[in-house]
Amino acid sequence: MSELTGKERVQKLFKKEPLDTMPCFSGQGAVVVQAIEEMGTQFAKIHTDARLMAQSAITSARLFNMDGVVIPYDMATVAEAMGRGISLYENADGVIYPTVPNKWKTLDEIDIPKDYMSQGRLPMIDEAFKIIKEEAPDLAVGAWVLGPFTLAGQIMELDILLKGLKKNKDATAAFLDQVTQVTVDMVKHYQELDVDFISVRDMGSGTDLLSPRMWKTLVGPNLKKVFDAITCVPSVNHICGSTDMIIEMMHECGADALSVDQKNNVVTTREKLGNDVLLFGNFDPYNTLTQLEDVKEVEAVIKQCIDNGLDAVWPGCDIWPDIRKENMETYVKTVKEYGKKASPAVGRI
Amino acid sequence: MSNQEEILAALKEAVVEYEEDDCAEAAQRALDEGIDPMVAVMDGLAAGMEEVGVLFDTNEYFVPEVLMCADALYKGLDILRPHITLDADIPKASVVIGSIQGDVHDIGKNLVKMMFDVAGWDVHDLGRDVPLESFVEKQLDVKSDVLAMSAMMTTTMMGMKKVIAMVKEKNPDCLIMLGGAPVTRDVANLFGADGYAESAGNAVSEGIKMIGRLREFQKGDIK
Ligand code: B12
Repeated sequence: MSELTGKERVQKLFKKEPLDTMPCFSGQGAVVVQAIEEMGTQFAKIHTDARLMAQSAITSARLFNMDGVVIPYDMATVAEAMGRGISLYENADGVIYPTVPNKWKTLDEIDIPKDYMSQGRLPMIDEAFKIIKEEAPDLAVGAWVLGPFTLAGQIMELDILLKGLKKNKDATAAFLDQVTQVTVDMVKHYQELDVDFISVRDMGSGTDLLSPRMWKTLVGPNLKKVFDAITCVPSVNHICGSTDMIIEMMHECGADALSVDQKNNVVTTREKLGNDVLLFGNFDPYNTLTQLEDVKEVEAVIKQCIDNGLDAVWPGCDIWPDIRKENMETYVKTVKEYGKKASPAVGRI
Repeated sequence: MSNQEEILAALKEAVVEYEEDDCAEAAQRALDEGIDPMVAVMDGLAAGMEEVGVLFDTNEYFVPEVLMCADALYKGLDILRPHITLDADIPKASVVIGSIQGDVHDIGKNLVKMMFDVAGWDVHDLGRDVPLESFVEKQLDVKSDVLAMSAMMTTTMMGMKKVIAMVKEKNPDCLIMLGGAPVTRDVANLFGADGYAESAGNAVSEGIKMIGRLREFQKGDIK
């Protein structure tokens, strides 16, 4: 049998069908500076141009033999489309992610425009998906959206939102409902673009900020609505930071796979959830790919992830674009070689 | 319990229970009863916040509660602060604080700022995502004793190094303190900062130590 393409490998993974080896891909940003340099462009430019976005995603995957790509790279796109502005840091040197400059300050000010889907960079991102699908049909294409709670924190001041959860419960819950609808519309839209998977990242909702009790009432039910809306492509529920106390509730939200970062105790999580659940994660991207100076240590980190019982080795967060080339190569190589053995939820050919 | 003890306990409890009105009321009572406002701040409000820190560390409180406790604390502080008389011999310490460019994380920075407010410092808060030059301009403008920067991402942390170089070039006496999750004392040293604190709780004492060291140095006690 001929080797599987990256796309096939990822598709089979989500169906829990036997694989030749573990796919190497991510649901968080995986663009790297080596690709940006090769293209002769700059980090600040790849967020606003469909061709540069598509090309930087494809080139990053090709350079390191990854099985898939994921766009966009920043978490400000929807807030921007709602008129909250965008800071791109075009004149700063080095890598700085776009941020939202004008968040709404109070619940009363919030006025989500009806036509946000056609505003800001959202149409450009659709175009980038089209280019990727045409030019790299062998790669798995991932879309991602912010989960409702984190999106809410992107369009209004997070501290006011957090306090509102306790002080102004009803109005805050109503706002979260409204934002959930936006997330639902976004995932339905990406589903129509026929991507290979959708990752929902509610990264601001871990127990670094919220109590498990709040998560249960204000985050979980909304995430469930989002996963209920994703009916025809595989979905991933990703939360970074502390997730040990909420992992079972995350599972109940109904995604096809769960993804966690280095703070999660994966061995315990696996025991709690059983072997049938697709579980991704959980290495510290900055430390592993940018800091470690010996590739042997990188190899050890990745092997540990696999031995702990993950079905795909995902970075816990965006890959910091300024990676060390050798570290990235070792990450991919280790996944492909050491990942030849079956993982808990997925067998091998 | 004496009157003073009772009022201090009320202040403390209002902070811990995030009761803004109770906190304001207890602060007013402290003034009415002639309690030294500095004592009310330190042994009432700050003591409450200390307990909040313990509740946070033990997963009893999470960030929403901490933010509400901070709001309650400010309600009391706003009432007490105008009545604190400063020792004329000891100049009032001042700090310029902000989260570095590219970094929108500001919850931790705001807690550190609160501690400086509690300690009676002059606080100039530049907010978050602060352009590197703005730190330099503000510091030179207000000539603060301390410049405190927060970075929550390993990546934005690098901007602090540049600010330190720019500030030290123009004003070698400015003391620079760094903090935020990825920052360690080693990083702070490496970047050429004068101080570092792991949490809001010890930011102010670190600031005071830094100023003390500088004054001794200026007096020639330290070579
Ligand atoms: C809340 C949060 C957010 C919120 C921020 C909202 C806001 N207004 O602050 C949102 C959702 C917007 C967000 C966005 C992002 N985040 Co974030 N976020 C967090 C989270 C979960 C909690 C931070 C927090 O507020 N903690 C509570 C406060 C009280 O603690 P603290 O900040 O550490 O502050 C204390 C000390 O550090 C110290 N301190 C802080 N500043 C200073 C300054 C001085 C001078 C001193 C002395 C002391 C001091 O005192 C404070 C009180 O004791 C952390 C995870 C974590 N556990 O840290 C990730 C985290 C910081 N985020 C991270 C990342 C990567 C991001 C994003 C890039 C998106 C992403 N991929 O997740 C974006 C980019 C935003 C940007 N450009 O800045 C990473 C950073 C990784 C790294 N090492 O580089 C973290 C660590 C999560 C992770 N994946 O590991 N995030």
